[in-house]
Amino acid sequence: MNTDPDVVRALFASHYFLLAFLSSLGTLQIAVANAGTRGLWMTPHAGMTRLLGIALVITAIAVFFLQPLWVGGPWAAGSVEADSLLRDWGTASWDEIAGARNVNDIHGGLDGVKQAFWFSIAAISAFLVSAIAGTVTMNVIAFTEEQAGKTSSLDESGGLEGLVHRSYLSNLLISFRNFKSEIVEVWRSGIRNSDKWSLIRLVFSSSSK
Amino acid sequence: MSSIDANIVIWLNGFVGTVRAFDDLIRIIASDYLMPLVFSLGMLGLWFSGTSPAQRVKYQLTMLMGISALSIANIVVWIFNLVIERPRPFVEYGDQLNLLFYPPTDPSFPANPVAVGFAAATAAWTINRKFGWWMYGAAAVFGFSRLYAGVFYPTDIIGGAIVGIATYGCTTYLRRFLEPIITGFVRLIRGLSAA
Repeated sequence: MNTDPDVVRALFASHYFLLAFLSSLGTLQIAVANAGTRGLWMTPHAGMTRLLGIALVITAIAVFFLQPLWVGGPWAAGSVEADSLLRDWGTASWDEIAGARNVNDIHGGLDGVKQAFWFSIAAISAFLVSAIAGTVTMNVIAFTEEQAGKTSSLDESGGLEGLVHRSYLSNLLISFRNFKSEIVEVWRSGIRNSDKWSLIRLVFSSSSK
Repeated sequence: MSSIDANIVIWLNGFVGTVRAFDDLIRIIASDYLMPLVFSLGMLGLWFSGTSPAQRVKYQLTMLMGISALSIANIVVWIFNLVIERPRPFVEYGDQLNLLFYPPTDPSFPANPVAVGFAAATAAWTINRKFGWWMYGAAAVFGFSRLYAGVFYPTDIIGGAIVGIATYGCTTYLRRFLEPIITGFVRLIRGLSAA
């Protein structure tokens, strides 16, 4: 290969992060639109949120596989069919675009572990962006409901249930408060009801005796 | 058995060059990025999909098992690779194959990408049959694409599928040794408003 694998790897990592971020954001929008989790919606309407999600997933995949047309990489014209060791740096042509991303991880492609790492970061980022956008959406929904004379819910449930009628930040306080008040009982009942082969039960039962 | 395996891959790969658009589609499906992304997105989507608290907990615990199974499937395949060093089809029959994918350097049996795909699909299938069948379909198409591209034998694909399904089964079984840590972990994420 004419290029340093680390340079290729950095290029793939940035492209893959964009793919994973946009597609995670899209998938998240589709899922929360179906589940009615309004605190994570990027638009005030379920149908629009779902459509936005589908568009984001399609855009992410299209951009990732078409990027070699305009971004230089180890997929220069004439080298795509070759062993990745012999590839040159440049942009790909339409004829070679389908195989342009097929670069062995030893020559700079991303292996499974690196993909898992970047996907996790991208999915967390997508969740945070949804939470921020959802705060604006919830304000719009609250304003619309107020105009229509609807009263706000007094439900104290946290987690994703709470996000049905609250923004992320206001829900976070309730969720964490619920977690602190419930976790000791959850742990105790978990140990009581756990399987007799549970290592945790074994350790904690002996220590309590 | 080995010759039947080789004959199938040579016969199937013989269609390469017949329909250019199909070959291009296979190159994209066989890529290291598309189908693994589909499996990951499937799991991410299911995490947020539950419509009632009980359903959410069930989905999220299963997705945690699915993610663990993916990782363990990789380790199982690696152990198989240490024990059975089966050469790739293009190494043994390179003169009869038109490779549509880069030549991987690791052993052929069992197919790692298929094991990962089937582990994810089995996790999805246990909580949502319809979605699970779609995921199985995606994993099977991924395996077919690698077979058609000339980088796996049919028995590698079948072996990968068995490893993926069995690993998920074992991971679910082993969960009982670690409870209530796993349920407590989901509660912690719920405390952060993400579960």
